Amino acid sequence: MEPTERRRIIEALLLASSEPLTAQRIARIVPELSVRELGVEIDALNAEYESTVRAFRIEEIGGGYQLRTLPELAPWLAELQPAPPLRLSRPALETLAIVAYKQPLTRAEIEQVRGVDVGAVLRSLLERRLVRIAGHREVPGRPILYATTRRFLEVFGLAELADLPTLREIEELLRERAAEAVEEPAALAAALAVAAPAEDDVGFDDDEPDDDADSFARGH
Amino acid sequence: MSSADAEAQSAPAFEPIADGRSACQVRLTLFEGPLDLLLHLIRENELEITDLPIAQVATQYLEYLDVLRELHLDVAAEYLVMAATLAWIKSRMLLPVDDETGEAEEIDSRAELIARLLEYQRFKEVAEQLGRRPLLGRDVFAPPGVELEPPAEGEREIEVGLLELVEALRRTLRQARASEAAHEVVTETVTVRERMVAVIDALEQSEVVELDALLREPDGRSSLSLVVATFLAILELARTAALRIYQSIDPSGAPRGPIRLRRAGADLAGAPASV
Repeated sequence: MEPTERRRIIEALLLASSEPLTAQRIARIVPELSVRELGVEIDALNAEYESTVRAFRIEEIGGGYQLRTLPELAPWLAELQPAPPLRLSRPALETLAIVAYKQPLTRAEIEQVRGVDVGAVLRSLLERRLVRIAGHREVPGRPILYATTRRFLEVFGLAELADLPTLREIEELLRERAAEAVEEPAALAAALAVAAPAEDDVGFDDDEPDDDADSFARGH
Repeated sequence: MSSADAEAQSAPAFEPIADGRSACQVRLTLFEGPLDLLLHLIRENELEITDLPIAQVATQYLEYLDVLRELHLDVAAEYLVMAATLAWIKSRMLLPVDDETGEAEEIDSRAELIARLLEYQRFKEVAEQLGRRPLLGRDVFAPPGVELEPPAEGEREIEVGLLELVEALRRTLRQARASEAAHEVVTETVTVRERMVAVIDALEQSEVVELDALLREPDGRSSLSLVVATFLAILELARTAALRIYQSIDPSGAPRGPIRLRRAGADLAGAPASV
């Protein structure tokens, strides 16, 4: 079969499917196509879409492939939607984040991290199929365990959970940001400005006593 | 007395004008709990979480709660628990240390609070990153797909009425009773919520599912509580338009064949607008 014909078939399958199609499923349908070759054809299709400035590309989602419109076209597409667009509140996003990284876990464990009741948020996430019940923890009371769904990967455009940044990466990002925040006032102090030290903690100790004194004066 | 107190006394609490007080009111609602409020105080004062000055933070935290009360807003219990925790840690730090255990306790609760703040801060950041991703149904859109199971010739889908469903329940309950009589009785609680999730999971796997398949466990066993809970779960899901219930009819118009459940149209279209 001609490569162009194979690509046409792959494109048609993705266009007609309401869900991401796994490589195995596509390979079963398209003759003489291995899972490995499929990856090459998908890349070729995406390169073609990009060079011809098309409105969509093929994304890897939840272990499958899906045709999706490009984000910059969202304002036009929003006009087409019968229902108000998907909105996720901050409590919902925070709860999802905790479940995504620590699954499976109990409601009490989520509440321990967030410091607030998550009953209503969790119920709403369950109803929207972003979170599912993943059994019980075998301790007294057998509390329900929660985990994210494949739908969660689909909505957030993730090929797999490992696509999320690691908590170590998040920590480093936060540390860098804190270092920048401290650097700015230091830079204003011109001559006294100290280059950001590799070990942040050492640098912060120098700056803090002054800040504390100021804040105390304001607070009382 | 704080400046916030003075402001609150100078004007009625809920005047809808854009002064400093109502701005404060709006901002307070943005906190997602006591940990979020603490992080805000730490950031505002350019403090290091790991070097948390408890006394200072506790004072400001309590001032915020005072403002909330002045505005006659309900302060959620979680905020009060945190206030108590802060006050306790602060008091332990002010008291002379009697013995070594006392000091260890104070250090522990402070360290625990710092660890919680650090952890919450991480997930808050993850949440923000998640929120910035292009979301399906908001920023990016996928094809709705084609009808996976077109009706066969001479058949059309009807929506099943309550009577047919009750009849299916009666039939299945009879079978369940028969099979239970032959089995040892295992006490197992099945909740409607669990079955709702199971039904939704099944519909996530496949767009169309036969009712009978849902009324037994994967290993083929069934029980009264499972059947009843599943039945209620399906009715509840149908009521919220999460699924539709179908059955074929024969040429004379009588229902025929298995009752099937079908996931309701576009996934997000039927969902509430926000969580």
